Amino acid sequence: MSAHDFRVLVVDDDPDMLRLLARMIEGEGMRADTVLDGDAALVHAMASPPDLLLLDVMLPGLDGFSVCERLKRDPATAMIPIVLVTALEDSASRVRGIRAGADDFLSKPVQREELIARVQTLRRLHETRLELEARRLASEVQRKETLRKAFGRYISPRLAERIIADLDDEGTPFQRGAQRVSVVALFADLRGFTRLTERTQVDEVVGLLNEYFAVITEAAYRHDGTIFSMAGDNLLTGFNVPFPQPDAGRRAWETAHDMARSVKPVLENWSARGGMATGVGFGLASGDAIIGNVGSPHYMNYTIIGDAVNIAARLVALAQPGELLASGPALHAAGAMAAGAQPRGKLALRGRSEAVDVYAVAL
Amino acid sequence: MNDADCKVKVARDLEDLIPVFMSNRRKELDTLRVALASADFEQLRQLGHRMKGVGNSYGFNHVSTLGKYIEDGARSGDRAGLAARIAEYAEYLSKVQIAYE
Repeated sequence: MSAHDFRVLVVDDDPDMLRLLARMIEGEGMRADTVLDGDAALVHAMASPPDLLLLDVMLPGLDGFSVCERLKRDPATAMIPIVLVTALEDSASRVRGIRAGADDFLSKPVQREELIARVQTLRRLHETRLELEARRLASEVQRKETLRKAFGRYISPRLAERIIADLDDEGTPFQRGAQRVSVVALFADLRGFTRLTERTQVDEVVGLLNEYFAVITEAAYRHDGTIFSMAGDNLLTGFNVPFPQPDAGRRAWETAHDMARSVKPVLENWSARGGMATGVGFGLASGDAIIGNVGSPHYMNYTIIGDAVNIAARLVALAQPGELLASGPALHAAGAMAAGAQPRGKLALRGRSEAVDVYAVAL
Repeated sequence: MNDADCKVKVARDLEDLIPVFMSNRRKELDTLRVALASADFEQLRQLGHRMKGVGNSYGFNHVSTLGKYIEDGARSGDRAGLAARIAEYAEYLSKVQIAYE
């Protein structure tokens, strides 16, 4: 901050004192704003917080002590250094000023050298404080960015943001515990990958999986899906969690299409290289689920558990390569997006007593 | 009040403020006279207090000296003493010589 950018609000009911103090401030290259009473000082300081306040004590309306107290009580103005200027020599007034939060005192008659020395000292302190605050903020931003990048390699960016926000709120991510929420669960599963791995060198398998997951996770993120698990060649993406998404059904449906489209060149390349045809099957279901931390204090998994997840898992197991199987509620939640889906009738799914309406679409 | 009291040195960069300052002192003198005539000791005290603060700050030490006397005189209700100090203030304002440096 240059001297000229440093703004001092001068408050005195005597116009001659006001002009004199302003002139001394301006003589040091700083900017001086002036007001004649306590109420105007309060309004001015709150509307446009100065970098320092030179405040007379004996003022019409609100006196200097009251102005000082109010400004120091308000977090927006509490950090403004205040110098009380007074002709009162008694120590009781100084004590009252200290209790009101004054940072320094100046006695009338004002000696120019003393005034400048006090203002410059407070200015340096103020600037140091601002610099430290700016460094603290920059460091905080950097810390969050590092956390976001670190988390972002393993979980969706939105989930990472949520964890970082919760760190600020409570110190521990997701302390709020489990919640029952309506979710749309989308499973994607790579078909024929086990056979492909049998014909591939071990050290190449991870590379192939990374190639596959890179494109389908990017597709999930493009539609603001949250990835909850990645196991083997299977990916679970949730919608409407942990943040509400009124169009979660449509987003999930679009995500499946996007994943199928994006993974196609990868699979074609594999096919050309290994001579083995592969494809991705999809299972989609919506309904209530529980979202929360599952595990032990040593190993936690933030995940979704419930009927919708179970149905989507069963459906993906039945889906053919390039096929999406969706439950009735998931189809209805997708709206017009799902217009081309064909009914498969009621299917009995393993572990469920009631058959489920299933719809299929080729992707 | 001696001759030295009437010779005032003022910083050069304050020169343009002095005409208004002096004009306000003359208005102040009139107000002091009115306040004394009406025995308004509270106003006399406030005016004295203000003179005490502003005089020295500009380099007019005798204004501050007189201000202190007027403030104290108003507190004690010393009407004769106040009249003498106000007369001295009038004489001072008519004689004061300002040098800018």
